[in-house]
Formats: sequence, C-alpha cells, structure tokens
Amino acid sequence: MSDSIIDLSRGLPKRELSVEVCIIGSGCGGATAAWTLASAGKDVLVLEEGGDYTGLDLTQRDGAMYDQLYMERGGRSTSDLSITVLQGRVLGGGGVINACDVVPIDDAVLRHWQTRHGLTDFSPEALAPYRDRALADLSANLPSEAELNTNNALLREGARALGWRGEVMLHNRVGCAGTGTCLIGCPLDAKRNPRFVAIPAAIEAGARFLLRARAVRIEGGDREQKTIHVRALDPLGHREQGSLVVRAKVVVLAANAVASAELLLRSGLGNEHTGRHLSLQPQLPVSAIFDREVRFFRGIPQSFAVTEHERVDEASGLGGFRIESIGGTPGIVASMLPKLGHEGKAMMTRYPNLAAVLCLIPDGPNGRVRLESSGRMRIDYETPDEQRQRYRDAAKAAARLFFAAGAREVHVAGARPLILRNGADLAPIDGLRFEAATVPFLSAHQQGSVRFAPSAKDGAADPDGCVYGTRDVYVFDSSGFPTTSSSHTMAPILTVSRYLAEKLVARLG
Amino acid sequence: MSALDGFSAISRRRFLHTALAASGVLLAGGGGLLALRGSAPSVTGLARLSDHQYRTLAQLALALFPPGGAFAFGADRVDLARAFDTFLRDEPEHNVRDLTRALTWLEYGPVLYDHRLTTFSHLTEDERLAHFESWAASDDLLRRQVAVAFRKFMSLVFYDTPEVWPSIGYEGPRFRKGNAP
Repeated sequence: MSDSIIDLSRGLPKRELSVEVCIIGSGCGGATAAWTLASAGKDVLVLEEGGDYTGLDLTQRDGAMYDQLYMERGGRSTSDLSITVLQGRVLGGGGVINACDVVPIDDAVLRHWQTRHGLTDFSPEALAPYRDRALADLSANLPSEAELNTNNALLREGARALGWRGEVMLHNRVGCAGTGTCLIGCPLDAKRNPRFVAIPAAIEAGARFLLRARAVRIEGGDREQKTIHVRALDPLGHREQGSLVVRAKVVVLAANAVASAELLLRSGLGNEHTGRHLSLQPQLPVSAIFDREVRFFRGIPQSFAVTEHERVDEASGLGGFRIESIGGTPGIVASMLPKLGHEGKAMMTRYPNLAAVLCLIPDGPNGRVRLESSGRMRIDYETPDEQRQRYRDAAKAAARLFFAAGAREVHVAGARPLILRNGADLAPIDGLRFEAATVPFLSAHQQGSVRFAPSAKDGAADPDGCVYGTRDVYVFDSSGFPTTSSSHTMAPILTVSRYLAEKLVARLG
Repeated sequence: MSALDGFSAISRRRFLHTALAASGVLLAGGGGLLALRGSAPSVTGLARLSDHQYRTLAQLALALFPPGGAFAFGADRVDLARAFDTFLRDEPEHNVRDLTRALTWLEYGPVLYDHRLTTFSHLTEDERLAHFESWAASDDLLRRQVAVAFRKFMSLVFYDTPEVWPSIGYEGPRFRKGNAP
C-alpha cells in the first residue's frame, strides 16, 4: 500500500503530474469516489492535506491529536468565534475523527430534495442501493447492550422515565475496546472508516494518494485540461515547503463543505451561490453531575439518541432537534465547563461524575464561506430567532432528561452559565440569549456550500455534481446537499458520492 | 511525554478590524500607558511573544488554574504561556498578529474598562480571574472573543498534562506503544 501513498513532506516525486481524474480530499466522499472511479479503470490521484495516522500513532492526547487530525489544528470556527467547526484533515478524513454514528438519509429528506429543491434524480428508490452499499462498506451494526456506557444508559433511563422516543444508533466499529477517544482517533483501528475500507480498495484498483498536499487553486476549470496548483507541506502540515502542479481532465472536490467551496472561490470558479447556503448543524453541549460515577470518557461516547423532538417530513426535511450522549478527554471537556479558577478545578475533580449530551440542531442553510480581500477564508453564520428558541427547547429537554435520570445538577453554558439544581424550575433557560461567543457550540456536519440544483439560478452545481460554469469539475461531498441530510453525515456522503461517481463513470465511458 | 511535547494546538482566532484598531489606539496612547505595565522579566527562547505578552499570558494562566484548592497542581507547574508561544510559531502571520495584539489589549483591560491605573498583570489573582470572567460575559463581542480564544487554549493544554490526571480521576490513554493488545 505504501507505494501508492506518497507523503510530500518527504520530498516531491515530480514537479508535474498528469492524471485523468484528480480528487481533492480523502474522506468519505473522496475515498469513495476514488474507489469507484479507479475500479472502473480510471487513472486516479487523490490529494490529501493531512498525514496518515493509524494505530498507536493516534496517541489519545488532546493537544497533539487536535493539531494533527483536524483542519486548522482544531481551531476552525465561524468568524465570530461562536461555533467551532470540526473537520478532519487526515488520510480518511472525517471518518477518522467522528463518533462512528451511522444514520442514513431518511426517505422523507430525499423526497424533500426532489419536490422542494428540484433534485428529481435523488429519489429514495434510486438511492436505496447506494445507501445499502454504504451500510455494508461501513459494516454498520448495533452496539451491544454491554457496550452502552453509563452516560448513554443514563440518557436512555431519562428518556424512558419521560416516555420519550429514543434509539440505539448504528455504528461502524468492529473490535471496539472502549478507549473513549473516538474524536481523536481510534488507536485500535476499530473504525471501519475510509482509511480501512475505501482507501485500500481504491489503491488495489490503482488509485494513488499524495499526503501533505494542499490544493490551492484550479486553473482552466472551463477547459478540457485543468491545472491544480498544489503546495507540499512540512511533516506536521503546518508550513508550505514546495509546490507542484497536477494536470487532470476531471477534478472531483471532496475536501469538505468549507474547503471545497473555498477552493472554488480561490479559483474563481462557480457562480454566486458558491459558498452560500452552508448548514453547520450546531451542537449545543449540556452537562450534568451525578452522585454516582459515570466515567463518560470510557466506552463508546455516543450510542443512544433521544429522537422525541426530531421532525422529518417531505415538506421541510429534517427539523426539530435530537439529543445524544457524548464523552470526552479532559482538555476538551474542561474547555466547555462553566467555571474557571478554584471553582473550575473543583468542578474538574468531579470529572468521573460528569455526564454530557449534545443537542443537535438541524439548521436552515444560514452560513456562508467567503474570502476576505486579504485572501483569508471566513465562515459567516447567522442564527435566526426560531433557531435560538430551539436551542432553549433543546436545553430544557436535555435538563429534563438528566434530572429524570437522577442528576444532582445540570450545567447550561451561556454568557452567565446556568447551574440548575431543581428539575421543576427550568425557567432560567428561557433567559438564555445564546449571544455569539458565549456558548461552546460545535459543528461536525457541515453541508451545502456548493448546493446541487437543477439550474444555475438556484445552486452552484448541477444534480450530477458538476459545478456550473465548469467543464468536469465536480463536487462529491456534503457541499452539494441542499439541506441537512441527516443528523450524521458519514453514511449520506458515502451514499451520494458513490451514486454520483457511478454516474460520472457512465458519462466518461 | 508532557503536555507540551508535540503540542501545538488549538484555536484560530480571528479578531475583527475594530479590535485591531482598538489595540492600535492603545499602543499609540503614549509613554504614560506604557509605563503602567512596568517591566517584564526577560524570558529566553520565545519565538513569537514579547516578554510582556508572555507575562500577561502567564498571569492569566495562574488566575485560571491557580495552585492549590481542589488539587495542588496548578499553572505554576506547567508553562502554558510557552506552550502558546510554541503554538504561535506555526500559525499564519495574521493569526499571530491578532493574538498578540489581543494579549496587549487584555493587559490594558483594567485601564480601558475598569478605569484603574494598573494593568492586568498587576492585579491580584482573584482580580485577574474576575476581570477575565467579565470579558467572557461582556456585552462587547470582541472581549468575549478574546476570552473564548485564550480560555479554550489554556484549558486544553492544562488538562492534557498527565500530572493533572490523578487529581481528576482520569487514568490517561488506555493504550500506549508497548502495552498495545
């Protein structure tokens, strides 16, 4: 496998490469496209900005791993610092650093895309085989009862006490030992992610991968032959140390819903929709302290979801909110707790008694990827009042779940964080305004910045993923989704990427 | 391996032009303001921070993670300011500029917002914490952004330090090279 993976930080093999298909990004979208296209006999080269981390190189330490596995060293955020935007930057992409949740696109979402966004080809019937294939490639399975850690069991207990709907989620772990460090990589390689499924298969079919390779511009996007300008990075991926060009007939962007749009903008490609309609699906953390030990930092962090308040229908797609457990290593947990100083230290001594959930809020496409005149990329995001109200509703629901499960106190972040000790009085949550940079919102499922639409009037790429105004420059990642596809995007991206890649193979002949 | 080895770390901070303008005005405030901050001990080996910026950050770290209390280990035992300097070494220039200016701004916070003739590094530990928390809860977005940025970085590095873990009931990574299953 190593001959097919070249790390540019160790030197440039050539200053110029020519291939038939150049794919930018090696995550769920890019790796799946590489596999599909290489299997059809296409000459495929994949560019990946990150390095290759597997096994015990995944050290389970916050500092080094956020630095190495995430875009912008874990610090990417919206321009007002309201939402931390988590995106993988490693061979295998987001699949390496996600919580392994497998939640396929609901048929109602696909019908919403068909009827409200004109994507008539995206019927549940057409996508069904690709969804099934995605589940098979992920080895999707249900965690066993014994694998539900205390944090998840408490959430289920709360839901049962309240009579609320919930479910154990499918995941793509095989051989999990419960390290609890899924968000900074699995040292046992127990995730059936692109790194261990699509990438080896793509290589077997002849695809090649360049690591520490940052695509900075595409030239000639409207011509038969494109030139991709690439910067070689240093071994830690911090600095540029060389450059090369890749010439390709077909370019597939699968760098993520921020980077794909950013590259198009830097290349002057696409139309006025490019970068717009970005969904971040903000996640609001709510934590609690129990008298009993929870030890949410061990076991599967996220296996149970309360879906009572989630809404999905053809008219509006995915809405409402869902609540899922989450655990974390000390550094990232401490950065979200409400107290500092001696009080903060005292709170962290209760780390084994902490429980936490994330409230996942499907959003309208309220965000935008832009380039400033200085060339800096920024992510702008507006939060409408309706969405703020759903934050409050979700925080209240999370607090009710915790108290129903026996929590001693519940913490909700805010400009002045709330510590609630009485489950019968959640009114203080009504006073939360969720102003910018007061709550540690996370985003792990960005979508929509290069929206698929049947006409250039409504979107940036056509329903086959081809960027309007270009010749064979495609987007095969979540950038194309017109609205939020699912509470978790791994399975949807695999589904859509293979679907579009097969269509491309048919066109290329 | 200590928390600082291999650490590079967290956040990109982007402060709006008005913040930069504010710090520019501050820096243009003349010798009187500069005199308030006094001298800072010389620190060897810094890549991007000035001695004064290092001092501001070190004093902030001590306020956020003071020695003693619930457990003995505090920011006096781990050099969070140097970790930040190490982090900055590999950051894009615009981030370095924004973050170092933010530190200068924080240093003069008591003058600008509390109308006191002293600077952040000269406050008592309790006053520093209260001042920083007032930024986190401020109506001013820019001050909240500064608070978010430094808090996140400091917390992540401090609690990624193995010496802290016994005090918080965390055993550390389950598998290390040499004890893999």
